[in-house]
Amino acid sequence: MFDFETLAQSVISGDVRKAEELTKKAVSEGVSPLDVINKGLIAGMEVVGQRFKKGDMFVPEVLIAARAMNAGLDVVRPLIADTDLKGMGTVVIGTVKGDLHDIGKNLVGMMMESAGFKVINLGVDVSPERFVEAVKEHDAQIVGMSALLTTTMLVMRDVISALKESGLRDKVKVMIGGAPVTSDFAKEIGADGYAPDAVSATDLAKGFVA
Amino acid sequence: MRSNYQVNATVRFAMLSENQLEEIHYATLEVLEGTGVNVFDEEALHLFKKGGAFVEGNRVRIPSALVERALRTVPSRVVLYGRDGSPRVFLEDHKFHFGPGPTNNFTFDVFTKERRKPRKEDVARAAILCDALPNIDYAMDLGTPSDVTPELADVHAFEALLLNTTKPIVHWAFDVQGYRLMVEMAATVAGSLEELKKRPFICLYSEPSSPLQHSREAISKLLFMAKNRLPTVYTPCVMAGATSPATMAATIVIANSECLAGLVASQLACEGAPFIMGGVVSIMDMSSTILSYGAPELSLAQAGLTELGHYYKIPVFGTAGCTDAKTLEPQAAIEAALSIMLAAESGANLVHDVGYLEFASTGSEPLLVMADEIIGMVKRITRGIEVNGETLAVDVIHRVGPGGHYLGEDHTYRHFRSETWMPELMDRSRYEEWATKGKKTMGERVIEKARRLLLEHKPEPLPDDVVARVKSIVERAEAEFRAQKAS
Repeated sequence: MFDFETLAQSVISGDVRKAEELTKKAVSEGVSPLDVINKGLIAGMEVVGQRFKKGDMFVPEVLIAARAMNAGLDVVRPLIADTDLKGMGTVVIGTVKGDLHDIGKNLVGMMMESAGFKVINLGVDVSPERFVEAVKEHDAQIVGMSALLTTTMLVMRDVISALKESGLRDKVKVMIGGAPVTSDFAKEIGADGYAPDAVSATDLAKGFVA
Repeated sequence: MRSNYQVNATVRFAMLSENQLEEIHYATLEVLEGTGVNVFDEEALHLFKKGGAFVEGNRVRIPSALVERALRTVPSRVVLYGRDGSPRVFLEDHKFHFGPGPTNNFTFDVFTKERRKPRKEDVARAAILCDALPNIDYAMDLGTPSDVTPELADVHAFEALLLNTTKPIVHWAFDVQGYRLMVEMAATVAGSLEELKKRPFICLYSEPSSPLQHSREAISKLLFMAKNRLPTVYTPCVMAGATSPATMAATIVIANSECLAGLVASQLACEGAPFIMGGVVSIMDMSSTILSYGAPELSLAQAGLTELGHYYKIPVFGTAGCTDAKTLEPQAAIEAALSIMLAAESGANLVHDVGYLEFASTGSEPLLVMADEIIGMVKRITRGIEVNGETLAVDVIHRVGPGGHYLGEDHTYRHFRSETWMPELMDRSRYEEWATKGKKTMGERVIEKARRLLLEHKPEPLPDDVVARVKSIVERAEAEFRAQKAS
């Protein structure tokens, strides 16, 4: 019987080397790759998420744990057919045009990745056209936009318009965030949701794909 | 290689210069030698006379040579142990430790939110909170119990402290008889008086009466501790403008003169006896006539007296974390925070009165809990900024480059916990989260934490037979008191 607990523990403690080693060991022992993911790697990451919410773990520790989880995932991924590996979904995120602030948006991206989403991070100063292209190219289910300035947050409305014009608006959920952004503003511009921080943004995204 | 490189490992604080300290020292010597002090205890008068002081009636004029000899024989450090015999509190150099205060007439009950007379169980609760709070290093009673024989309230409070914390205990008694009982109780816990002397976990204080008077009780208690070689605090309580001149310098001279007169007595009784100087040095508020526990002058004068203690190499009893506010409101936070900061920066060793509301009239469990958080912040600031290759992290900055971020860097992972202080009560959440959780203010969060600690924290118990023996000493004291009253 493979010790999933120790594998989960290696993710929780952010031990990249051990997570990789134990995953290889599991594979060589003939453990099903999906069990390795769900009972070991993801199980560990779920504990990390709970501890973070309780205030017992902090952002850098969550990110290091996610790195350990991904090291394990890299080992098993080639062994699974694409159809079997149902990820959480694909999210396109970016800071809107005219705005170079991205630390919060990056945090959202990393938190979503650690929750199992595929995140396409378009970076900063992203035009409405680039958001549209990325949704098409990656077949994304969610678009996440961020802005720090009261002037640039207005661009979010343009992105939503661009999605409508290209016929993609009904295929994606749009979520927004950033210091000046509120849930009222989200309603006003016709976004599907607003989140004040990276953790609630991840929860919001999970709700969209559930 | 490089030469002449200097490091400040902590924040540096200095108020009085060496020359100013010397001036205060000389002024103190002049007061002791010229004005003298009043002493109302026969044994002490005899010791002073034999030691070479000029004694006329109760007036004792102490020659400078006598003071300077006492300054040479007093130990520069006192270590207080835990009830379990482990060294806990190092009263030396600029090392600071915080604890509550004693003898308040009222208590703020954290469960009923009322201000009422303290009970014996409140002292036990104060001990439990001190035991649980990481930044509180020793215990005091935070209120004189009113539900016991009044003449034995000191002994009952001591029992409650002894049974509910392993941290060192700083306490008081009405008279020498109370000291005897407490030392007996503590020796019972330690195993013997010899063991208690070797690893003292109690420290008893007495107070001269400003200006420049030493009551029979105050000085006989001091001598009792000196003769037993047990640590004692001699703590003046000076009100600038009322029991000392209005100026801070003169107020420090009065407090220092009282301390040093006590020091001379203690060293005459037993050369090398451990002695802690300090006190409550503040102003009389000239509007309300109270002794202010929140005035900036309190922190200022305390810092001055602390620097004087460092100049003498005598451990210092400080005062901070207290307020004139009547309840846990912003005034309490402001006064507690500033005084804690100053006490820590000046390096007072045994800082007391954390949790005092209403200029010492009320002991407050919530203020004690809030102060624990304040002390945490102050400790972080005091720790300063570490500068070296690892902390400058130029290689990391180079690798991440402009526009990158450091959240996922190993360097961040390695350092963020030790570099940043993690708050427990300070709320840093976003508005939505704060609103969802009930829009709680600091006052509400503090009360919740105090209640939780009181319900959940279980201090290490003493063995049953030791508890029984400690309680039998209190019962014996009650019986003796009743017999005495009857006769």
